[in-house]
This record gives sequence, C-alpha cells and structure tokens, in this order.
Amino acid sequence: MILDKFDLTGKTALVTGAGTGLGRAMALAMADAGADIYGAARRMEPLEETKRLVEAKGRRMEIGSTDVTVTEAVNAMVEDAIAKFGRVDILVNNAGITDRGRGKTFPELDDEDWRVGIDVNLSSAFYCSRAIMEHFLEHGGGRIINVASGWGMRAGRNNFMYSIAKGGVIQLTKGLAMTYARDNIRSTCIAPGSLPKEIELNQREQNNAFQPAGRVGWPREMGPLAVFLASEASDYMSGETVLLDGGSIAGGLLPAGYAPEFEG
Amino acid sequence: MAKQIPVPELVVPADEYDSGGNPFDLSGRHALVTGATRPIARAIATALAEAGANVSVTTIRDDSSEAAEANSILEACTALGRSGTTRQLDLTDPVAVEAAVAAIESEVAPIDILVHAVHEANIKPVLDSSLDDWHRELNRNATSLFVTTQAVGRRMVERHYGRITTLTSVLHDRGAPHAALFGASQGAVLGYTKSLGLEWGRNGVTVNSITLGFFDDVPGLHNDEEVHAILERYIPLRRLGKPEDVQGAVVYLSSELAAFVNSETVLIDGAIAAHA
Repeated sequence: MILDKFDLTGKTALVTGAGTGLGRAMALAMADAGADIYGAARRMEPLEETKRLVEAKGRRMEIGSTDVTVTEAVNAMVEDAIAKFGRVDILVNNAGITDRGRGKTFPELDDEDWRVGIDVNLSSAFYCSRAIMEHFLEHGGGRIINVASGWGMRAGRNNFMYSIAKGGVIQLTKGLAMTYARDNIRSTCIAPGSLPKEIELNQREQNNAFQPAGRVGWPREMGPLAVFLASEASDYMSGETVLLDGGSIAGGLLPAGYAPEFEG
Repeated sequence: MAKQIPVPELVVPADEYDSGGNPFDLSGRHALVTGATRPIARAIATALAEAGANVSVTTIRDDSSEAAEANSILEACTALGRSGTTRQLDLTDPVAVEAAVAAIESEVAPIDILVHAVHEANIKPVLDSSLDDWHRELNRNATSLFVTTQAVGRRMVERHYGRITTLTSVLHDRGAPHAALFGASQGAVLGYTKSLGLEWGRNGVTVNSITLGFFDDVPGLHNDEEVHAILERYIPLRRLGKPEDVQGAVVYLSSELAAFVNSETVLIDGAIAAHA
C-alpha cells in the first residue's frame, strides 16, 4: 500500500540546522512519519525546543551543538549520532545562511565573506555527506536530502555567495546520486522559495503580493516533501531537485501577480 | 492584456512549523484520472485509491477496448472500498469532455484531484512522418490536456481548490532520434503545465508535472530490445522505471500540503538526467 511507503518508522534522520525554520519543520514531519531525529545546530536553545516538540510526538530526539563548516566538528557530530542511535538512515543537509555580505557591492565583498558564505551553504553539505558515507555503505544504503534554493537556479544583483553555493548544492546532489547509485544511496534536493519563519503577519501580507502564488510559504509546507524524499515512496528518484516555491521560478519572467484575464 | 489577480486572503495555520498527522492521506477527496488505459495510469489510480481518495477514470479515445481497460482500473479502485465512475470518450472533444466532467461530478463528487495520465509515444523518423502523424501526436498528448484541464479546472478555480498533475517525458527538453514528434508534444505539455499553474495558483489550484525517464510498460524508444539492454546499464539506478515508481509523487503532489509546489516538474528517472 502506498501510504506504507511514506512511513519512516525505525529510521533515524540527522538534520543540520534543526533548531529553527525549515530544519525544525522537516524534523517534525519526519517524526510524524515515525523517524527518530538527531538535530544539529550552532545554538542549543532552539534545538532544545525542537527536541521538546519531537518528543511530544512520542519520538526520540538527540541534539548536539555543531559548527558544520569545520570537518572535525562534522565528523564528531556523525559519530555522536551513530553512537546514540546505532545507525543513521537519512541525512538532511539543511544548515545555511543568507545574510553574509548583504548590502555590499561586488568589489566590496572580501575573502572572508566569500569563504563563510560558501562554507556554511555549500562546504557544510559536502563535509556532512562525506562524513556519513562510510556508515551508509556499511549499512547497505541511505538517503541524503540537500536544501538548496531558487537562488541556486537564478541570479540577483550583488548576490554571489548564496546563489553560487546553492547552485553548487544542486550539483553536489547530482554528483552524490551518480557516485552512489549502485549502493542504494539516494541523493535528492529541495529548492525552497520564500518560506519565512516567525515574521509579523503584516510583513507576511506585504511579501505575499510579490509571490506568483499570492503568498509566501509556511515552514510546515516543507515537511511532507522531505518525508516523501526520505521514504521508499521516492525510490526511483535520485539526483533530482524539487522546487517548493509557489511557482516563483516558473513565473519569474513576469512581475508577480499578473496573469492573462480569464472567466470564472 | 494581463491583469493582476488579487492576493488571496491570508490563512494562518494553527502551527507554522507542524504539518501534523499524515499529510499523504487523501480520504474524502475525489480524483479523476484521465487516459486510464495503460499500466502507468493503473498504478496512479490505485495509489490515489490506496491513499483514501475516491477515483473516477476515463479513456483517451472513444474506443471500447480502452473502455474495458478503464473499467478494469476502476474495479481495482472500487475493490479498495472507494466510489467512482468511468467514461468512454474522446479527450480531444470539448463537448464530450464537458458533458462527462459534469456527469462525473454529479454522480460522484466535485473533482479535487486531476491526473492527466495520457502518455503515449509514436516513435518514427521525421522523414517517414506525415502531417497526420504530427497532428495525432499533438492531439493525443497536448490537445487532450487543454480540453480536459479547461473543463475540470474551470470548476476547481470556482471552488478555489485543485491539484492537477500531468505526465511528461525527459524528452521535453532532451532529444533522441525518431522522437521529434513525441518530444514536441512533451514540450507542449510542459509549457502548458507551467503557465497554467501560474494562471490558477492564486485560486488554490496547483498544476505540476511528473517527468518520467525510461519506464517499462510505457510506449517509447526503449521498447527496442537493444536500446532496453543499453539503458539498463546506462541508467544510474540500473533498471528502467516501473509504473509503481510514480505512485509516491502522484500522492504527494495530490495532497493538500503540497500547495506550495506549483508549476514544477518532479523528475522520476533513476537519475539518468543527472549524467545525461
């Protein structure tokens, strides 16, 4: 039965950036589907709140403070997750930042802006995937879900580290898919559009007008897609990036909100 | 001239992080699978039924052998305890389609989910193809989609809810010898899908496509024995797709919480496009 294929009971998912936003939403949805969660982030306080919410669903969650831009820290995180759960089945490379270098023009961006922007958004996914791979191979397979962005497919003025790193994440997804296709390891990617967290409703309403969908998304809309890609229900998919953007890339040619007149 | 479609009223969920419960349960929904004549359509219809939806089906052509297959697919759905009905009709005939959609809605329920499962290919060299071949390919794969979505979508737009899924091939933007007519029809389907999602998105109707790689039980180039053998080695996941491989994506895209996936394609291809 198809609904059984979405079930993650008995699986463990390691989610980076699990304290807030899309990471928390994916952790909660995977917990609903039956998975236990290992959550990593820099700050422990939001992670503890995610842990409380996951545990309220009757699932187990362990957490660890991690700097995903440091290989040693990433390796220690993976070791800790394996030590606590015995095995990890799903890796969600979600950690990222958008604000590095914001407001600077191209010549003003310094080497540190570039390094940090690329490290947090791209190198982290490479480090985490590399760290988990031996474990996946030993246990006969695994799932990697990367989180990119619509910015990984299009460009913006003075947007460099973020769009280049996210474009790299999309290519990393394909490279992992190719390399481990014969090892029962699937690598897929979600490219979210605008799914802001905890913003004022009037700010949300203002943002809505600029979206082809007429609204920005809610973090909770990320969860079911992550469950689908983490589950057997997507077994013949690998290397693929799925947009969750309310049509923002498809509709990028016209200013949002305009469409041909229709009756109805 | 284009006009601005109003922004829908802001609906605030009870919890902005928590999708809650089982988001893939389609109980209480009514799905229509148009072009239910092939194994892939059977896999789609039964998946929707297994997920809890009532399912109705139609043929592609006004043809009794197609009707027998559609009836058999409907029986597989009703065997799961779902209600639904079937119609034999020509999906390129707007009068027949409008009448069928009205009858199906009055007999079963308003249609919440439409999967246009027409996916056939005429593999033929261009120099051997007639203008009739061209029209047949475009009519079957693309015109049928226009006619069907117009009839069903008009009702979905009025009701401010709908999930529409089309099927396309990776040949929508890649090429292969002897697939030019088929590829043209797939480009038409995808271009139509993307614009339609934007036209109806603010009315709560999403329109997406599932893009297939090479699948068994689907007509196409790969049914040649030699090509099939090559593809089994070339597809990274080392096998061709099976009809049931589309079931998860169909159920996901048909679910309420997939609301923010729109004008998008979900590629199910065993990773072939990642290195092709």
